[in-house]
This record gives sequence, structure tokens and C-alpha cells, in this order.
Amino acid sequence: MRLSFYPGCSLEGMANNYGRSITHAFSDLDIELVEIEDWSCCGATAAHSLSEAMAVALPARNLAAADSMGLDLVTPCAMCFNRLRFSQQALEREIYDVPWQVSGELRVHDMTRYMASEAMLQRIAERVERPLGDLRVICYYGCQMVRPPKITGYTDFENPQTMDRIMQALGTRVRDWSYKSTCCGASIGIGRRDIRDSLSHRILDKARQTGTDAIVVSCPLCQANLDTVQEGSPRRPLPVFYFTELMQLAFREPAGDDWFGTHITDPRPLLRARGLI
Amino acid sequence: MKTTDPATAPDADRKVIGESGSLFLARLQGETGVNVGACYQCERCTNACPVAGYMDLKPHQVIRYTQLGWRHELMHSVTIWVCLSCEMCTTYCPNEIDVAEVINHLRNMAARSTIEPREKDLAEFHHVFLHELQRFGRVNELWLMAAYNRRLGVLKNKLRDGSLVEDLRLGIKLWRRGRLRLVPHRSRAIQEIRRLYRKKGVL
Repeated sequence: MRLSFYPGCSLEGMANNYGRSITHAFSDLDIELVEIEDWSCCGATAAHSLSEAMAVALPARNLAAADSMGLDLVTPCAMCFNRLRFSQQALEREIYDVPWQVSGELRVHDMTRYMASEAMLQRIAERVERPLGDLRVICYYGCQMVRPPKITGYTDFENPQTMDRIMQALGTRVRDWSYKSTCCGASIGIGRRDIRDSLSHRILDKARQTGTDAIVVSCPLCQANLDTVQEGSPRRPLPVFYFTELMQLAFREPAGDDWFGTHITDPRPLLRARGLI
Repeated sequence: MKTTDPATAPDADRKVIGESGSLFLARLQGETGVNVGACYQCERCTNACPVAGYMDLKPHQVIRYTQLGWRHELMHSVTIWVCLSCEMCTTYCPNEIDVAEVINHLRNMAARSTIEPREKDLAEFHHVFLHELQRFGRVNELWLMAAYNRRLGVLKNKLRDGSLVEDLRLGIKLWRRGRLRLVPHRSRAIQEIRRLYRKKGVL
């Protein structure tokens, strides 16, 4: 099976560990990811805040490139997914003209939803060699992946389940909680740190109250934010995993100690205590 | 003839409805495709908003001000900049008003105007981001932060509240963990993207 892949800028920098775990997880599932040739940035929050025309045009270049590949597109980043879908819908309504030809027939999936289809879950469950039964996790989806529903196509936007299902397939003890899609404030974290801190710490506090061991995310910005904001906090540290990292952990023996060493909130003490590394 | 100073007149803070013109409302509705008139002020948007506490105009007020055509207040508000575009308001509006789209459109308008943004750092960051984007075609976090921190206003603030040191400390930690990339990737699309910027009148 082949899919076209739009990694997004984060996966080249801050989230390169996410990128690596995606490569491993997909190759373990025998899916070939074909990176879009010479992709460019989707414009993220900035393009959309300053000029909607740019927010339509910048993703369009990538949509056009993916079109010519003739494969379904998956993207791991919630923001990229949202922007690509947004651009696709705006182009359909022909509000802005863009210099690239976009057919509008391309299917854009966010990675978690693609993985959470019945067939994929089956495959994941078959591939699991080390069930993560001792690990208690909760899933955090953030805002851009699920909202607004008319863009993202999520019908269970209040209580999304995609990652929860994947975590069940890996054997973890996953539970529901109320802050799955509450915004963590990462997008204005650089200009208004105070707002970011209050939103993120609230989410982390609520997460601790559920008695969980760790948070599972799929958005690179959420991970960077929830992970780094715990720096210097006196509360119980909560490691923030990408869902593909846990897939890796369940699929194979981890290769060396430095596997999870890329996080700021170190997950290794937890994993050692649970006998997983 | 005796004249009263308009600023101290008893009804100085009263505004005439439509003072700034219903044209503003018509334009905004036309450009966004949002039916702002459908709002009956149930305040569900404001109750759903995670940053309403930091706003001077709450989301339901933004909609009301838009109906009244109070462009000046909207353009000079903190609200249009601290909005996270998390889309809670839009999702929960019982009348399907795309509140986040209205706020974002106001932000677009303010960015194009000569009005000085109330949240300078937030506006600055967006501009720096778009500038970095057209330099390489992709955005590199290290270069983005370096470009942002070099802006004079930002640098002054960050030195004053000590967040520059925090940033550097975090940067070093990330660097040690191999999470930062020194050399930015250059997409071959730079020329195409720059042409697009010129055409859309950005930068």
C-alpha cells in the first residue's frame, strides 16, 4: 500500500523524533509513505491570521503536487491537516485564484484517523509484540485536528476516539477525559507566554487528576508545548508521547536508551518502572 | 456661543447606531459569507472560548459590534490578536455563525491597515513567520526564533522579563537532544512563493 505524505515543517526540526517514529511505524505496517516532491510550508497560523488569500494559496501548491501523484494524502501535523483541508474547500468555492491546478479530488487524511480505520486497527493489533498493558494513558487531540467539524470532517469532535482506538489496539489502559480537544494555546505561546502557560497547565493538571501515566498526542505543536511547559514545574512530570512512538514501543524492542531521550520531560523513568525499556 | 467639550459631554460615550456605517457590516458579511445578523447574543461562543478572560471584547461582543458597524473599536481591540482560532465559538454557535472566521477576518483587515496592533508581539510574530517562509519555502524553528528575537521591540521586552534567558536555556536543551536543525531546508519553490507574495500584496 502506498500513500503520499506531507510531513510539514515541524517534522524537520522540533518534531524530528515524531518523523522517525512515523517512518518506523509505517514500515512495520508495510505501508509505503511517498513524500510529496519538494513540498513547501502550509503557512500555518501566520498566513491565516494576516491574509486569508495566502492561507488558501500556500497549501494549494502542495495539494497540486499531491494531485499529480494520484495517491491518498496523509499528514501527521494537525495544523497542516487543517490548512490543507481548508484550502481544498475554499478552492472548491472558487473564492481565490491560485497559480496551481488543484483537482479537488484528492483525499486528505489526518494520520490518526487513517490509522484508526477498522482494517488498520486489525493490522496494528496483529503487529503488536509487546502489549503495553501496564501503561495508563489518555489521548489529547488539541483543536486543529478536530475543529471546525465542517473542515475536518470529525463527527465526534467533542469526544474524538481515533487515538483512543489505536491505544486500545496497542493494549494500553486508555481512558476518557474531558479535555481531549481543549486548546493548549501553543499558537500564541511565543507572543503571549502567560496565556499559553495558563491554558497548558490547566490541561496538564486535569490530566494528572485522571491518574494517568502519560499523555498521547499527534500534533507536533501540542507535544512541544505540553512537553516543554513542564520544565521547572514542581508537579508530577507527565511524559507526552506521540502515538507513533508508543506504536514503535509495542511493535519492537527499543533500539538503545536514547530512543526516548529526545523529550524534555523524560519518559524513561516511567518506562523503566513499567518494564518497557 | 457656549460650546461643550465633546469629551466631557454627558453622553460622550454614547454612540449612534450605524455610526461607522452599515457598509462595514455588508462588506464583512460579503467577504466572509457569514450571516452575522443571525446572532441573538446567547453568549455560547464566549462561554466556550478558552481565552475570553484575556479579551477586551468578548466573542459575542465582537459579533454585536460588527452588527453595529463599530469598526474602530474592533480594529483596536486586543481580542482580534489573542484569538487562538481554536474554533470553539464556531463549533458551538447554535445559529452557525462562524465567529472565528469573523475574528480572523477582522485580524486580516487590521493587518492590512495602518492601525498599530494592540498586541504588537503577536502581530510581529505572524509577520516574521511569513517572512521566513518566503526565504526558504519552509520554516525552520531556529531561524524563525532568531529572526523574531532580533526585532527591537521583542528583544527589549524579552530582556526585561528574562524570557530571553529562558528561551536560550530551552534552545540549548533542545539542541542537545538533536531537535533543532541549523541549516534550513531550501524548497525549490522559493521563486514561485515569492511571486505569490507579490501578487497577493503580502510583505
